[in-house]
Amino acid sequence: MKIAVLSNVNMNVLIRLLGKETDMEVYEPEGYGNELGLLYDTDSSYYAFNPRITFMLMDLSEITGGETGIDVAAERVRVWFNQFSGALRPETVYYVSDAYLWGYGFEASGDYGIKRRLENIWMECLDRLLLKHDNVRVLPYAGMIRKMGEENAFSCKMWYMGKILLSNDAQKRLCSLIVHKAELEERIPKKILFLDLDNTLWGGLAGENDITPINLSDEHSGLAYKNLQRVLLQMQREGVLLGIVSKNNKEDAMDIIEKHPHMVLRPDAFAVKKINWESKDKNIAEACAELNIGVDSAVFFDDSPSERSLIKAMLPEVAVPDFPDRPEALADAMLEIYHTFFEKAFVTAEDMNKTRQYAQNTERRELLEKAESFDDYLKGLEMSLIREKPAASADRFLQLVNKTNQFNLTTRRYNSGELSEIFESASKRTFLYRVTDKFGDNGQVAALIADVSGEAPVIEEFAMSCRVMGRHIEHAIITDVERRLSEEGFLRLKGIYIPTAKNAPVAGLYDELGYKKNRELSDGGAEYEIEIAKAPKRVYYVNII
Amino acid sequence: MTEKILALIEEILKVPEGTITIDTEACDIEEWDSLAHVMIIGELEDKLGISIPLDEAVEITSVRELLEKAGIQ
Repeated sequence: MKIAVLSNVNMNVLIRLLGKETDMEVYEPEGYGNELGLLYDTDSSYYAFNPRITFMLMDLSEITGGETGIDVAAERVRVWFNQFSGALRPETVYYVSDAYLWGYGFEASGDYGIKRRLENIWMECLDRLLLKHDNVRVLPYAGMIRKMGEENAFSCKMWYMGKILLSNDAQKRLCSLIVHKAELEERIPKKILFLDLDNTLWGGLAGENDITPINLSDEHSGLAYKNLQRVLLQMQREGVLLGIVSKNNKEDAMDIIEKHPHMVLRPDAFAVKKINWESKDKNIAEACAELNIGVDSAVFFDDSPSERSLIKAMLPEVAVPDFPDRPEALADAMLEIYHTFFEKAFVTAEDMNKTRQYAQNTERRELLEKAESFDDYLKGLEMSLIREKPAASADRFLQLVNKTNQFNLTTRRYNSGELSEIFESASKRTFLYRVTDKFGDNGQVAALIADVSGEAPVIEEFAMSCRVMGRHIEHAIITDVERRLSEEGFLRLKGIYIPTAKNAPVAGLYDELGYKKNRELSDGGAEYEIEIAKAPKRVYYVNII
Repeated sequence: MTEKILALIEEILKVPEGTITIDTEACDIEEWDSLAHVMIIGELEDKLGISIPLDEAVEITSVRELLEKAGIQ
């Protein structure tokens, strides 16, 4: 991957480190302090290099010119952000460092709030930028300095000699942080964390409270378990699904989860609960099937070495991290798991509601079990399909086309720059659909791109979340797309299917929808076509709004 | 202390152990450019508590000179 590090102080040591110690290609700017000049000059060596990610490591004290007067300093920060936002390009991802103010002038001030206020001005400007641009993210630089301490992070001598702000150790840490963030842009995060209960979420054993109560409290190791749960709750809020796989009597365990005063994770925090005496590999495989998630998207956390080795042997696709030997190490171990397996480059509004949506799936399954026939079940769901503005939810659209593997007809991937061009192009039509039913909102679940430059439009991308697969929703979607396009005067519509290792479930989709195969494509795919007026009556129980 | 200093220089320059000796001239080592020089002076102070005055630090061109200015030899 190609990256650039731009700064207003000397970061050449870091740039050298990145070039030597990683397999990334790193842009080498001439000097430093000309970061905006490089971004504005389209003939610059920076644009010739064309990095995928640009890290902006900005020293706040240099931007404010060491000014300690708040109004003047604030104005300088705002000017920098105005200029920076004017230079942004949609095809690049930018990480901007958050603020850590270090400068001698402030040390002499009796006003201890002044540093914080200046840092806040930087953060407010950065927050506004984040809201406007989905390709701008924060590099948590200040937290790194705070963890190291100023005395270890900054080097006065190097600063005087060569405007090198950071010590050797700080540059090494920053190097790892940048590598980590660059990896997040590329990797597919895991989706679900399966947790044991006894001696994992709490100390001791459920169901034996007449002998010893479980250990979960506000002190000693009880607090260590509670802090683990706090980390887990935050992960869950950012879209990580939590599942329970525990050998216990369900009533005993649920009693604790529902009523124990120190439980942080209540029943609705879990997308699935397998509390029984079955073997854990069977429970995990079943839970994944119910949630329509691949077992390769699962992580398993259990204090028992024998359960861990069982899962490693029976379900080798599941990630099984080590379990710490002391409760006080639990929260840190979980943070490590979060960074290694679950952290995403950015969190969308969809991610925040994930558990609720998956838990509703459990209720849907119960309806299915009661229904007399599958059609009966689908009718009972009372589904609605709502077309939404793709450009208003660009990050979700991007996530759908780039992260969906199973229900993805062409598996073409786009960056946010290409996508904005598509949204604005006169020769493209884009569709984004939300599905709701009687149990709640399934969220924005399908994205579709059609090229309308020819006589017959071509569906060149159609991706749908596996969360709503198997409910004939795709029949309703294609019917709606056909209607919209025929309103524009198009009489025929084409679709493309390109097989991949994962998208076999939709191999027969166009046949099923009444399309005729036109021709085989050179990449193993095929083109299909239909005369819209002659489309067959399709079976679906979805109210198109 | 001399060994510690030599080891620190080697670590910063990322050269094999034994590359840097008392007789090493900065210009003989490819990795020892002006940027590395700044790092060496900074790390001597931060890691080993050896403070060479700024004006003198810029002039140093060899290990022997560095040890002298550091007051080791």
